[in-house]
Amino acid sequence: MALPRTTFKTLFGIPRVIYRQPLLFPSTSTSSGILSTRGAYERDYRRPGQAPDTRWPWQKIRFDFSKGVEGIRKHFGLLTDEFVNRFTGPEGKPLINHMLEQTQVQWEFRGPESLNQWIVSSDQEIGGRSGAYIKLGRNNTTCFLYGMLCSTAPRDGETRYSGYCTIRSKQPLGSFDRKKHYDWSTFNTLHMRIRGDGRPWMVNISAETYFSHQRDDIYSYFLYTRGGPYWQDFVTIPFSKFFLSSRGRIQDDQHALWLDKVNSIGFTLGDKADGPFQLEIDFIALCNDHAHTEEFAYELYKRNPEV
Amino acid sequence: MFQIRVCDEIIMNACRHLLRIQCAECISHFLTPVKRGIFPGGPYLHQQTVSLQQSQVLRSFHCSAVCFTRQQDQKEAKEASECETQNKDRTLVTHQDIFEQAAKNSKTKGNFNRVVDVFTKNDIRRRGHVEFIYAALKQMQDFGVEQDITVYNKLLDVFPKEVFVPRNFIQRMFNHYPRQQECGVQLLEQMENYGIMPNVETKVLLAQVFGKKSHPMRKYQRIMYWFPKFKHTNPYPIPQVLPSDPIDLARFSLSRIASDPDAKITIYQYQTTDITETGEEVLRPYIVGIQSPEQRSLLAKHNHCRPVFVEGPFPLWLRKTCVHYYLLRADSIPPEEKIKKEYNPEWIGPEQSLFYPHRVELDLERDLGDDDSFDVDDVEEGPVYAMCMAGQGDETTLAQWISDLQETCPTLGQIPTVFRLESGPGELQTSSDVQQSPEQEFETVHIIEDAPLYSERVKL
Repeated sequence: MALPRTTFKTLFGIPRVIYRQPLLFPSTSTSSGILSTRGAYERDYRRPGQAPDTRWPWQKIRFDFSKGVEGIRKHFGLLTDEFVNRFTGPEGKPLINHMLEQTQVQWEFRGPESLNQWIVSSDQEIGGRSGAYIKLGRNNTTCFLYGMLCSTAPRDGETRYSGYCTIRSKQPLGSFDRKKHYDWSTFNTLHMRIRGDGRPWMVNISAETYFSHQRDDIYSYFLYTRGGPYWQDFVTIPFSKFFLSSRGRIQDDQHALWLDKVNSIGFTLGDKADGPFQLEIDFIALCNDHAHTEEFAYELYKRNPEV
Repeated sequence: MFQIRVCDEIIMNACRHLLRIQCAECISHFLTPVKRGIFPGGPYLHQQTVSLQQSQVLRSFHCSAVCFTRQQDQKEAKEASECETQNKDRTLVTHQDIFEQAAKNSKTKGNFNRVVDVFTKNDIRRRGHVEFIYAALKQMQDFGVEQDITVYNKLLDVFPKEVFVPRNFIQRMFNHYPRQQECGVQLLEQMENYGIMPNVETKVLLAQVFGKKSHPMRKYQRIMYWFPKFKHTNPYPIPQVLPSDPIDLARFSLSRIASDPDAKITIYQYQTTDITETGEEVLRPYIVGIQSPEQRSLLAKHNHCRPVFVEGPFPLWLRKTCVHYYLLRADSIPPEEKIKKEYNPEWIGPEQSLFYPHRVELDLERDLGDDDSFDVDDVEEGPVYAMCMAGQGDETTLAQWISDLQETCPTLGQIPTVFRLESGPGELQTSSDVQQSPEQEFETVHIIEDAPLYSERVKL
C-alpha cells in the first residue's frame, strides 16, 4: 500500500492522495461498507483473479480504543446538533429561509475540510491505469480535479472496457451513522459553476431506492465543458433531463428522478481520449427555475424502445 | 461444380427454400427504397435464364447486396482459400491470423473488405462465422474502419440469413441461438461505442438474420431511440473532422474558448523557415492570438507597477486531440486598489429634488421569495488580457507575441512581463499566491525585468 502512494507523490507532487482501496492487496480500510453501494452483507466488486475475502465480518472491524473515543465524541456531537438545530428550524435554518429559499448552495469548496465530503476513484479499482486526484485550487476556493485518463483495458481476460475517473460525494450521515438524504424536492434545476478543459463529463445522481436490486440505479446527464480560462457561470441542468441508467446501461423503463431522497452526486469522465484532464468546480447548487415546467424529458407512455 | 451443388441443394431443400423466399418477401416489405439494396440482381433477374435466377435468389439469401459476387473477387477468394488450405495442413488457423496475413501488405479498408469477402465466399454454410466476426471486430481499429457504417453492415452480412430466426413461440420464448445473438449485440455495441448510427440497411440485415424481436434488433432499437436524442446536446459543438491546418485549428479553438463573439483573431506570424547569415535554418512557428475589445480596454487600464504574466501551456481537448494555448494575464487586483464605482455627488447631494431624484436606492425585489442569487463568495481571479496558440511554446515565440500585441496596446511596453512557462501541461489557476509552491516554479519562471526592450525592438 505504501508503494503506490509514494510513487504518485513523486510523479505529480501532490500532498493529498485520496483513493478508495488499493487493489489486489488485503483490504485494510473499514469504511468501504458505507461508501460503496453494497450493503454490509454483500460483496463488493471483485476483480477477476483476485482471491476472495474469506475473513469473517468481525475480523474486518477495527477494535481500537482511540477510535471508540473519537466515535463517541463525533456521534454525540452530531446528536446534540440535531437536537439543538431543531429549535432553530428545519435543518438548522430559520423557518422563513426554509420556506422562501429559491436557491440553495449544496456544495462549495471554501477550505480543506470541504474535500473530505468527496470520494475520488478511477479505473484502478478494476485494474486500469487512470489516476484521478483532488485538491483545492490555488486560492483555496475551488475544487480542482485532475489526473490522467488511460483507456487501456486491464488484461485479465474478462474486462472489456476501461478508462474512467470519478468524483462522488459521500452519503450524508447523521449521528450513529444513520443514513440521511438530501431533500431537493423544492428545486428543479441543478446549477454549477465549473471550468474544464473541453472534455465532456457526466453528472450522476443516485437516489435512495427501496429494493436492493435497484442500488446501482443512477440518473445521469451530460456536462459539457468549453475549456479556456473563463468560468462557465451558468451551467444549469434541469432534473427532468436526467435519465435512468444502471451499471452503465440506459434502461428501457425510464422514470423521473425522485428528488426527496438524494444520496449523492457524482461526476464521471470516460470519453476515451487518453491524456491529462482537469475540472475545476466552484460550487454546486440547486435552484428553482420557474420557466422550466417539464417533468420528464423522455417518453413515459411506452417502453423505450417499444416492445 | 458450384452450379451442381446449388442444384442439389435446391432439390433437397425445396420446401425450405420456398419458405425462405416467402420470408424474404415479407422482409422486403420493410422499406421500399432498400428493396433494391437487398436484391441487387433485381434488374438482371428478368433478363436471365431460370437456372441463373435460382442461383441468384439463393445467393441473395446467403449474402446480400453488399458482397455481390464479381469475377475478380472469386479469383481472389480461390487464391485465399488455397492459401488457407496450405496453412490448415500445418496448424490450426484462427481468424485472427487471416486478418494479420491480410495486414501484411497494408491495413486498409479494401484489404479488410477482401478478407470478409473471402470468408463469405469460402463456405456457403459460413462455418465459424461468430468467431470470424469477433476477430474482425477486434481488428477494425487497426484497419482504420471503425467509423465506417458500411463495414459494419458487411460484417453483419456474414451471418447466414434466415437460420437464426425463431419459427415458433417456444423458440422465441427461449433464447434462440444465443451465441449468435450475443455476437450481433456485440457488433452493435461496438458501433455504439464509436458513436455510429446504424442505418436502414442494418435494420434489414438484422431482421433477416435474427428476426424482428431478437436481442440484436432490440439493441438496434435502443440505439435508434437514444442516439438522436443526445445528438445535439453539446452547446459547444466540435466538428467530427477537425481542420488539418494548424492555423485553422488554432482559430477554431481560440474562438471556442474566448466565449466572446466580438473577440478578434489576429494571425501574428505564419509558419516560415528563415535562413540566417550563417546558413542555419530557423523555423519561425505560427502565432495566432485572440483579444476581445473588453480585454483590450482592461489591459489599457492595467496598473503599470504590477507585472503581467505569460502562462501556459494549458490543454484544451477537442474530441480526441489536445491543443495547448497560452495566456496573458495578471494577478487579481488587491482590494485596496479596486476602484469603487463613484456616483456623481450632484446626484446624491442634499440639493436633490425630493420628488424627482437622480438616483433611487430601492431594492426592487418582486417578492420575498424571489431572490435567485446564490449565497457563495466570489472566486477572486485576475483578469485575462489575451490568449494565443503557437507552434512552439518557447520563450522567444511568446516574446514575439507580446511585442506584436504592443502594436495595439502600447502600454504593454511599460509593464514588466513575467514568463511562467511549464514544460508539461499546466493547471489553469490564478497566480495570486506564488509563495505556495516556490519550489515548483523556481526552475521554470524566468523574470524579464527589461520589458521596455520589447518596445525598442518594435520601433527598430
